Amino acid sequence: MEQNPIALDSIKKSYRSGLRRKRRVAVDGLSLEVNPGDIFGLLGPNGAGKTTTIKILLGIVFPDGGEGSLLGHPLGAREAHARLGFLPEQPYFYGFLTAEKGLELYGKFFGLRGPLLKDRSRELLDMVGLERDSHLTLDKYSKGMLQRFGIAQALLNDPELVIMDEPSSGLDPVGQKEVRDILLHLKEQGKTIFLSSHQLSEVENICDSVTIVNLGRSVKEGRLADLLSVEGLTRIVLRGGGPAALEALEPLASSIATLDGDTVLQVEEPGVFPVLEAARGLGMELVRVEPYHLSLEELFLQTIRETAP
Amino acid sequence: MRNVFSLALSVIKDAARRKVFYVVFLFGLAVVALSPLLPTFELGARAQFLRDISLSLISLFGVVLAVILSVGQLPGEVEKRTIYNILSKPVSRLQYVAGKYLGILAALAAILFIMGLEILLLIYVRLHVFTPIVFEGVFAVFLESALIAAFCLALSTFATVPVNAFASVLFYVLCHVKTGFLHQSLVEGTSGVVKVFAWGFYYLIPNLENFNLSLKVGYGGGASAAVMLRITGYAGLFISVFLVAGYLVFRRKDL
Repeated sequence: MEQNPIALDSIKKSYRSGLRRKRRVAVDGLSLEVNPGDIFGLLGPNGAGKTTTIKILLGIVFPDGGEGSLLGHPLGAREAHARLGFLPEQPYFYGFLTAEKGLELYGKFFGLRGPLLKDRSRELLDMVGLERDSHLTLDKYSKGMLQRFGIAQALLNDPELVIMDEPSSGLDPVGQKEVRDILLHLKEQGKTIFLSSHQLSEVENICDSVTIVNLGRSVKEGRLADLLSVEGLTRIVLRGGGPAALEALEPLASSIATLDGDTVLQVEEPGVFPVLEAARGLGMELVRVEPYHLSLEELFLQTIRETAP
Repeated sequence: MRNVFSLALSVIKDAARRKVFYVVFLFGLAVVALSPLLPTFELGARAQFLRDISLSLISLFGVVLAVILSVGQLPGEVEKRTIYNILSKPVSRLQYVAGKYLGILAALAAILFIMGLEILLLIYVRLHVFTPIVFEGVFAVFLESALIAAFCLALSTFATVPVNAFASVLFYVLCHVKTGFLHQSLVEGTSGVVKVFAWGFYYLIPNLENFNLSLKVGYGGGASAAVMLRITGYAGLFISVFLVAGYLVFRRKDL
C-alpha cells in the first residue's frame, strides 16, 4: 500500500512570549493525512496555525507533542527534503544573487551540478516567465517576480511533494492563472501538492481535499466535493414571472433570491416537483435544476463561525 | 561537504556586497598606509616599528571584521527568513553552521592576507626591506579573529545582534586582560568559593595574548614552528568548543 506523503498525528505546539513568558497555543492536537497525487489545501483564518504546521512539516519548528512523517521519513529528515519542493509564504531569498545564481545555489543542495543544473534552471526560468530577467539580482525583483522565482526553485529537484505557502500571493490575475496551470500540470505528473492559501476560489478550483483549521485544531476535513455537497437540497433557477411569482413560490422553497433577473430557489428534495409545477402555472421558464453545493467560501465562513470560541 | 561549501560561498558573496565590509577594509588599509607618518626612530628601528604597529592595527581590524561578519549571520537569516528555504532543502543544521563558519573564515583569511601584503609592500617601498615574516603575525591574527568569530557565531544562536556584539567585544577585552588585570583581581582579591569560581572562569576563557606576535615579528626574530603549532592547536580547541556549543543550541531551536 502506498504511504501517504504527509501524515500528522496529534501534533501540538505552543510558544512562550512576552516578559511573563505567557504560553500561546499555535497547534493543538492537529492530525491530517494527504493522499498521494492529491492537491491538498490547508485553510484557516490568520493565526489558525497554518504556518506553524508548515514549519513543523519542514523541521524548522519542533512539535511539543504528537508525531508525523514526511514522504515516509520522520519530520525534518534530509532524505525527505531531497524529494521535497517548498515555496515560502513571502519571497525570502538571498537578494544579492541573480535568479540564475540563486537556482545554482539551491540546486547544489540537491546534488545538481554542471550542465544538468544549468539546463534545469533555464527550463524552470522559462516556465515561470523569468528567462529575460534571470541576470538581475533578486533584490531588484517585484513581489510577483520573486513569487515566480520561488516556484522555480521549489521545482528544481523535480519533487514528489511540493509544499506551497500562499502560492498566488503577490501575483496578478494572469500570474494566478499561470500558477494554477502549473499546479494542475504537476498533479498530472502524479506529484502531491500541499498548499496553504487564503484564496478560497483558487483552492476550490484545484484542490481534491482540504482541512480547515481554527485555533490550532482541525475543524473540518475531507474530500472537497463531499464537503461542498449538501445532501437533499436542490437548486432551481427560473426565468420570468415577477414579484407576484416570487411571492407565490416563497412558501415552497427553503430560500429564494433573484440573481441577474433570474429567480434562484433552494428546495428540499420532496418539494422539487411542486415548485416546478407551480412555476409552469406562473408562466416561468425553467433554466436549470441542479444538486445544491455550498461554495468553499460559504463552507469556510460557516465552519469558522461554528467553531469560534 | 558540498552543502557546506555552497553555504560558505554564499557567505563570501554576501560579505563582498556589504558596504560595511568595504568601509572597514578600506579604513584598515588607510590606517596602515598612514602609519609611516607616525614619529619614527633611527633607521633600524623603523622596520620593527612598522611591523609592530601594523600588526597591532590588523589585529584590531581582524577582530572587528570577525564580529561584523559573524554577529548577524544567524539572527539575520532568521529575521529575513531566508533560513527557511535553506533548511527545507536537504541541508542539515550542522552543515548550515559549518558552512556559515567556513564562509566567515574564508572572508577573514582573504582580507587579512591582503592586509598582510599591504604591510609587506609598505615596508618594502618605504624601507627597501623584504619581510615575509610579517605573515607569521598575520596568521596569528587570523587565528585570534577565527576564535572570536566562532564565539560570536555560537552566541548568535540565541542572542540578539546588539547583545551579541557587546558580549563579543567584552569577551575579546576579557581574554586580553586575563593574564594581567583579571588575573590579579580575580586571584589575589578573592578567597574561598569565589576564588574557585574565579580560577574556573580564568581557565575557561582563552588567553588571546597568545596570538599577539607583534613584538616577536616586530623585532624580526619571528615565532618558532613550535609556537605556531601551539597557538594553532590552542585556537582550534576553543573554536571547536564554541562551534559545538553553538550547534547544540541551534540543533533543536525553533526558527
